[in-house]
Amino acid sequence: MEKHHNSVTRTPLNSVVVQRRSKSKSYRLSYRSCLGAASRLGLTPALTARRLNTSRRAPKPHNITEKVDAEQLTLLVKTEWQLSYVTPLYQFRHTQLKSYSRQLSAFIAAEKQQGMAVEVEGPQKTFRVSFSLVQGLTESDDDAETVLVQIYSKPLFARQDEPQKPVWSGWLTCINGNPEYLGSLPKDFICLPLFGSSGAEGLTTLVKSWFQQSFDCCFGPLEISHTSLQWLMALWTNCHNEYSIQHLKMIWTLPAVPPLQVTYTVNSEDAWELWGSVRKGNRGGGGGGGGGEEAEEESSIDIEEVRRFMQGLQSHFYRHFRLDLSAGSLNQVSTALGSAKYSGRIKISNSRYMITTLTLLTECALLKMPI
Amino acid sequence: MHIHTLMLSLPLVVEAGTPVYGNDDVERNMVLVEKVAYSKGLSPEAISIMLEFAMSLRMGTILCPRVLKCLIPAAVVPQEAVVRAFVWLGVGKIPVSTQILFIKWVLTVFDMIDAKDQLRAIYGFIFSFVTEENLCPFICHLLYLLTRKESGKQPFLLNLLSLYKVFCPDLVTLSIPSRIKVCTWTVQLMLILPLFNKEAQTEPSSSRKVVPLVQLHSFAQLLENMHRIELPAQMGSLLGSSLALQYLDCVQDESALLRLNFWLGYALHEEFLFCGDGGASQNSEEALQFLNKLLSTQHFLQEGFSSSEAFLYKFLNVWDGSLLRPQILGLLSNIPVIPSSQIRRLLFEPLMQLFFTSSLFFKCGLMECLNNMLLKWLTWHSVYALEDDLDISLNSHTSINMTLSGFKDSVMELVDFVGRLASVGLQLEGCHSLLLSFILDFYETVCDTFLKYGLPLVVIPPTGVFYPALFASDPVSVDRLAYIMYRWGLFISMLQPQAFHISRQTFREFNHYAVVMVNCLWNSKMFQPGMGIQPGEELLLKSNVPQYWMSFDLIHHPAFMSYAVDFHQKCWPGRKDMDLNSIKVRGWYLEYLFSQGYDGLKQFVQSNISRRTYFISSSPRIFLCT
Repeated sequence: MEKHHNSVTRTPLNSVVVQRRSKSKSYRLSYRSCLGAASRLGLTPALTARRLNTSRRAPKPHNITEKVDAEQLTLLVKTEWQLSYVTPLYQFRHTQLKSYSRQLSAFIAAEKQQGMAVEVEGPQKTFRVSFSLVQGLTESDDDAETVLVQIYSKPLFARQDEPQKPVWSGWLTCINGNPEYLGSLPKDFICLPLFGSSGAEGLTTLVKSWFQQSFDCCFGPLEISHTSLQWLMALWTNCHNEYSIQHLKMIWTLPAVPPLQVTYTVNSEDAWELWGSVRKGNRGGGGGGGGGEEAEEESSIDIEEVRRFMQGLQSHFYRHFRLDLSAGSLNQVSTALGSAKYSGRIKISNSRYMITTLTLLTECALLKMPI
Repeated sequence: MHIHTLMLSLPLVVEAGTPVYGNDDVERNMVLVEKVAYSKGLSPEAISIMLEFAMSLRMGTILCPRVLKCLIPAAVVPQEAVVRAFVWLGVGKIPVSTQILFIKWVLTVFDMIDAKDQLRAIYGFIFSFVTEENLCPFICHLLYLLTRKESGKQPFLLNLLSLYKVFCPDLVTLSIPSRIKVCTWTVQLMLILPLFNKEAQTEPSSSRKVVPLVQLHSFAQLLENMHRIELPAQMGSLLGSSLALQYLDCVQDESALLRLNFWLGYALHEEFLFCGDGGASQNSEEALQFLNKLLSTQHFLQEGFSSSEAFLYKFLNVWDGSLLRPQILGLLSNIPVIPSSQIRRLLFEPLMQLFFTSSLFFKCGLMECLNNMLLKWLTWHSVYALEDDLDISLNSHTSINMTLSGFKDSVMELVDFVGRLASVGLQLEGCHSLLLSFILDFYETVCDTFLKYGLPLVVIPPTGVFYPALFASDPVSVDRLAYIMYRWGLFISMLQPQAFHISRQTFREFNHYAVVMVNCLWNSKMFQPGMGIQPGEELLLKSNVPQYWMSFDLIHHPAFMSYAVDFHQKCWPGRKDMDLNSIKVRGWYLEYLFSQGYDGLKQFVQSNISRRTYFISSSPRIFLCT
């Protein structure tokens, strides 16, 4: 009798139980990540900023100039960045940055030949790409190191001594990201949810495509919500006694016909006073606690205080102009520490409070993670 | 001449592995050959032989460079020799420096090679050496030379050269026009990039050839290559491929599934949640296709994706109930069992809001969705429950542990929720028969949980469903209600001996329903004391319905009256006046009804009404709580 080497006939019957377990594992796999995420991200009925942390630590000046390379810091601080969120990167290695530089430049060259519109002067330009690590920005061990990408344009017959300025810059970062979420990802994934870019739109698209193809990630636009803008206002104002914010400027759009744009600038001293009164009022009269307790309270800011601060500003405006700003939408907030726009543009003008701002933005980006 | 014959004999004489050092014969012959080469150059045949001799490593690797260095052609270099040498290059035994030397030699004598057509024929083979970092510049140069001489500019080759320019700009002096027509071959250009990627990977590449999943087209191929499948760079591309999904489901690669879920979640969020008010309506056709594809994928896998589940919990809170309704409800029915602690917040609250503010069609759709959901949960339970204790201990990141009792709780919550929805829904819609039909579908599923799916669950339809069904204006609803009651009776009688705990309350309810049903339909004793529904005497008289206690029996019931009339005509064809009271609810009339296909009524009668009193007055079988 001929022996059958057919694997089907040789499947032992008792492996049915084994198969079942593995099937339930698959069920478990898909099951756990969803509900876990649901509980971590605190799903609430409305997609509002109630999901953002309701209280956060007051910004302390971080002397990161000592920790971060000066050139990189200059670039980060003087530029206005367009923000996006990124899903975790698969098999991204911080040790392979040189290889990534080569790959991205080859990709850009190839795409250019295909006719992708890249606005550069002159027909004969190639690009040189450089990936670098920005060390010293992250504080916690869970955060992956920030990666900076710069694209320099190389004219065909460049002289050796011609200094090259980057025509496009971008970075991926994660500052004080939620440790539970970061810890729940498998080891293969690197989470750098916040992406900032500055330069030609065509190059931004190319860089994103390359990342998508190489690391199976997805990019989406990140707006800075109304609540986040309020937070930035409050956090920046809170720094006034250590570093003058010079002014607090807000740009509102009111739904009139035609739409009315209001630029509301508040003197820094007045803003500071208002903020102080909001904070004092919050803590009431109980000053009997020890010094440590008070310091603890002072160092944390609650969303209610932020809202009251905003209400104070709005009611002041109403008293003078009989216009209720809450009927409109806040588009932009700026101080000497930086400016933030609803459309997702951010500029951090001073490195001392960069960490706080990036922490808030990282949180916004993580909230957009699909699971 | 002398040299020629000498050289001809050289390779024939020398056996493989003959030592070089101390071999005076070889040394003498080599010196001779070199002398001729440097003075006059070697003839084509000599070149052939020596090249073959060198590249085949007949005498080891030491002589090879020396031979190559003296390969100075007198006239031409035969193309075949070069091709054969490349073959030897491919064998891979030659040290790298010698390989470089060989290529350099080819480049040097390039113009003297008598023809290039064979070399061009192995263009691809030569191209494959580009991956060797040391050889790369020289290979590029060679390929450049091979293509440059080609008549006419081929755009794809120019594209290739522009890429080469990126890597070896000093070697490529050709100026490339910036506007080159796009050619499909440029797609292959993209394939070059993964080759460079592979170089950079730190994991050692397996010696077995890896097969990309996208290249497999049949299940047989999948089985053959199961152990060496390479996943694509972007997992999202696998969504439509049933083959790929089967593979993923089997292999259980957590990272691969997570990548797919990230992409899927991202697509769903961007399309439906983050788009703002105007976005959703713009690409509705594409969105529809996408959701249909996702649905068919989930249907194929018999399981939902976690990212789709997460998306739905958020989406239900902002959904208007009509946008892509069939697809959203379809996706909703694939949600896995939710722990009872979260089911209200995640599922019931948003659904309640939607249900009570929606159209009849949404209500029906939601009923169907929840019915499918229940079916899937029950199927899952019957497949995965190992013996009697179901334990899905989940990942420690979540603290959810689902046991059999937890599962039962969730199912109870769901059935309870549907009962509440159904009761109020029927009131809102005036007991619409379409809605009632979907609700009865649900209760048919519920009454079979034990008999079909092994889960001992006892949930009688609430009064808000029972009475509308009993008094429904279409006979099918009444029949289905009878069927459900029959199944319940069967189920309870099966459970009793097994001593499953059924509460007194449940027994009371069931008995009550049975009594009401029999008295209403058979005994013509509706609205009498103890029948549950007891409108006041004056109200009943006010209705001007004569003999109201008979008004819902099987003859006078609005649903069945047409059958009664029909029967009357068949019995007494000659009679002018219709007198329905001459029909009795028994015997022939019942047989006639059953013959019209009302199996539910038939089974209910046969199991619940004792035959003994069949023709006089029927008393229902009542269950005693033990």
